[in-house]
Amino acid sequence: MLDISLRKRLPGFRVEVDLSMDDELLVLFGPSGAGKSLVLKMISGIIAPDEGRVAAGGATLFDSSANVNLPMRVRRVGHLFQDYALFPHMTVYENIAYGIAGKDGEEVRKKVGELLSVMRLTGLEKRCPHELSGGQKQRTALARTLAAGPRVLLLDEPFSALDYQVREKLRADLLNIHLMYPMTTVLVTHDLEEAFMLGKRIAVINNGSIEQAGTQEDVFYRPLTRNVARFMGVRNIFSGKVAALDGAHVIMDNPDIGMVKAPMPPGPALSPGDDVSFCIRPEEILVIRPDRVLGKVQDNILECRITGTVGRGSTHILYLEAGEGKTPLKAELPNFVLRKLGLAAGRHIKVSLKKENIWVIR
Amino acid sequence: MDLFPLYITVKVSLTATIVTVAVGLVLAWVMAKRDFWGKSIVDVLIMQPLVIPPTVLGYYLLTAFGRSGRLGGFLSDTLGIELVFTWKGAVIAAFISSLPLFVKPARAALEGVGSELEDAARLLGKTELQVITTITLPLAWRGLFAGAVMAFARATGEFGATLMIAGNIPGLTQTLPIAIYDAVQAGDYATANLLVGIITLFSFTVLFIANRFSRVRF
Repeated sequence: MLDISLRKRLPGFRVEVDLSMDDELLVLFGPSGAGKSLVLKMISGIIAPDEGRVAAGGATLFDSSANVNLPMRVRRVGHLFQDYALFPHMTVYENIAYGIAGKDGEEVRKKVGELLSVMRLTGLEKRCPHELSGGQKQRTALARTLAAGPRVLLLDEPFSALDYQVREKLRADLLNIHLMYPMTTVLVTHDLEEAFMLGKRIAVINNGSIEQAGTQEDVFYRPLTRNVARFMGVRNIFSGKVAALDGAHVIMDNPDIGMVKAPMPPGPALSPGDDVSFCIRPEEILVIRPDRVLGKVQDNILECRITGTVGRGSTHILYLEAGEGKTPLKAELPNFVLRKLGLAAGRHIKVSLKKENIWVIR
Repeated sequence: MDLFPLYITVKVSLTATIVTVAVGLVLAWVMAKRDFWGKSIVDVLIMQPLVIPPTVLGYYLLTAFGRSGRLGGFLSDTLGIELVFTWKGAVIAAFISSLPLFVKPARAALEGVGSELEDAARLLGKTELQVITTITLPLAWRGLFAGAVMAFARATGEFGATLMIAGNIPGLTQTLPIAIYDAVQAGDYATANLLVGIITLFSFTVLFIANRFSRVRF
């Protein structure tokens, strides 16, 4: 269990974060400079918040109203630093054993041995940190942190110092370790793929505050703010004014592309005249075959001009201009669609923004 | 051939180095790890003996520790410690002038142990003292050792301030550099050459050792 409420003022920056979580893995996701590492440092006590509360595993670590500010050494917060902070003058074994306090030698050996095998470090115990690969360093640091028996685990961009190839494997490793040692874990990242792979729950932080916290599904497909939509890779975000309501749908007017129909978002009903935003993910934009006869009632069909295409491995990004050329759109299509329809820069096509794929942001 | 100057020089320099390391370590640690009001002033004061003329330094010491000075009077009357014109006075002179040569590299070495490593140790349940003894000092010891060697070398070469406070009493306070000066004044070039040779060889060795140890291994 981890319960935090943090307030901190710094020159030109302010942190206001409230989060609560159980024995789960929460991904704290946000752009560089959003305050992610600062939040972790305030939980572990490296930096003191101006006010607020930090409670972990039933213990109050910090509470400005009760004048509680436990020193780092008794907080039992496991903090994995971005570049691991392994002690360079100690071997892998000594690093892992460092935080095991007040136990007899046999017990320490057993505990370290167990962690060495779980972390696939057996045989490396006599190596020094500079003789390890990036992945081995990361696992040593994680073993050292777990050896001390923390209440919560904080991981600060644990994969950013690693090669792309080993990241994927180590992410899977981390999920396994989380299953073996279930505890409240906060993982900080600015990598969307990583956030999606690891976090069943995601909290999006921007400019020092949480913009949205919820399940992966919620944050990814139902962003509450334009920023969250942007961070989640929704490239097509527009402004509109509610023009009319149609049962479970809302019809919005955008000055450039006209009327767009979308499902009513949850929460209090919108009314005509309200200013809203709406968005659609690039992979959800459909290109309409030129020879297809359109039915009578078709919502959200846009005439576009292709301004460019960029390959992305198995897919292509299509840059489009809709409306009178003032609204850029980004669509992602499988390569074969691109080939079959002969899509290339300069061509005019029709695309459909299917209404069930549009998400309205209040 | 009177080798007393060699003996008194080694005795004064070793004592001064021990004091310098003890005091300097505290100063370097405070300067490296703590922020306080007036830190830049303290920094300048510690470094000042490097640029101030040794005779000026000696004059300050003489004024402070002479029997008519407050500090000197107290030491002499209450504790019975005489500093002026004794080898202990030479230790004070050597200590003050070698302090900056230790504090500068020691501070850099302590700062070089990133606060992240120390925080990592604290988060693993260690007290401040444990952090210092198991993380900070083991990682900084090369820089500290290099600084101590430099301080020792500076202490052996101290001339001006030593002359002012300890004087030039053969068999009592006459250190090597002062003995060389004396020998040259007396036209005794055989002695001067020998002592100059000893000091040159010594300072070369010391710098060589200091250089080897200041190379950071990690």
